[in-house]
Amino acid sequence: MSFDDIVGREDLSPDEEARLRRVHDLLVEAGPPPDLPPELEHPVQPKDADVLEFPLLMRRRIAVAGIAAVAAAIAVFAGGYAFGHSKGKPAAFAAVHVVPMHGSSGRLAVIKIGHADAAGNWPMLIQVSGLPKQSSAASYYELWLTRNGKPIAPCGGFRVHGDTTTVHLTVPYSLKKFDGWVVTAQPPSDRGVGPVVLTT
Amino acid sequence: MRLVTSDGELIQRAADGDQSAFEQLYQRYARPVFGLALRRLGDRGRAEDAVQETFASIWRSAASYRPERGPGAPWLYAVARNAIVDRARNRTDVPADIPDEPAREAGPADRAEQGWVSWRVHRALEELPEREREVIALAYWSGLSQSEVAEFLGIPLGTVKTRTRAALMRLADILGEELE
Repeated sequence: MSFDDIVGREDLSPDEEARLRRVHDLLVEAGPPPDLPPELEHPVQPKDADVLEFPLLMRRRIAVAGIAAVAAAIAVFAGGYAFGHSKGKPAAFAAVHVVPMHGSSGRLAVIKIGHADAAGNWPMLIQVSGLPKQSSAASYYELWLTRNGKPIAPCGGFRVHGDTTTVHLTVPYSLKKFDGWVVTAQPPSDRGVGPVVLTT
Repeated sequence: MRLVTSDGELIQRAADGDQSAFEQLYQRYARPVFGLALRRLGDRGRAEDAVQETFASIWRSAASYRPERGPGAPWLYAVARNAIVDRARNRTDVPADIPDEPAREAGPADRAEQGWVSWRVHRALEELPEREREVIALAYWSGLSQSEVAEFLGIPLGTVKTRTRAALMRLADILGEELE
């Protein structure tokens, strides 16, 4: 549709017409803005979630202080992200706690922990970024709850795809009995605990 | 006189942990980022991921923004572009055969220019009042004539024209640099 059809030139000075014509051209060039998917309409607020502090070694505290800011940002999107990747499921993941994790080379993770159900199952959503792809089709990562730094209770395995992967897990443990989390890389042939790649 | 907080100021406030400033940035830029990602990646799911990553990056690196080096929009554009490029690099599609003939689509430079124009225009549209944005969308992208827009919205044709002009004038103010 032309400038004359949409805007017209009546009552416009030459300067005004030139200015509006340029805007018209830019609108035509830009094309229509896309419709935002519902899950991107608003950033999900982390205000219903607290960052869960586990006892940490002193040298880790400094690193985690920086990571907490990242965790807060990621937490803003985790709900929307989760919804976007769970078509047909209820929208928001109501987090009670948010746990930041970190590793070497910029590896990060955020665990959002929801309300336990009546039977004591805790729903969790873990979003990891920066983990390398598994070395083989049978390799995977495992999330553990730790006590005194040792992986004690397995919380679930997952494989990563791309930069960021989000996984829903559920654990039946009483979280109070543990003092942290780790993610280990599990090689296919090893039935024990693999090397730790992320930790609180 | 416009009293809208600048993008640069919002970025600086976000760097200080101001959640509301970050939300304002999100409202202003979620759609332009999504549009840019959609054009570049050609897939809504991947574009959605790119939006998430872009805003996580903005929050993470807002402190690196230096207002003396320029306004906020180009900085945000660079962050978004990097996040989108990273996602594009991670594609595992099998590379297609190299065509014998030159591509008819825009080259990288043209695509970058088009991306920037769309970015600025879509961002500017976010500042229009809803009733003005509505007539612009219908007039430019729905294929309706102005009379049909009036009929569709149930308002007089003169009102459609008034709103259209008002919207374009407002966009001209917002897009000052692009008009030069």
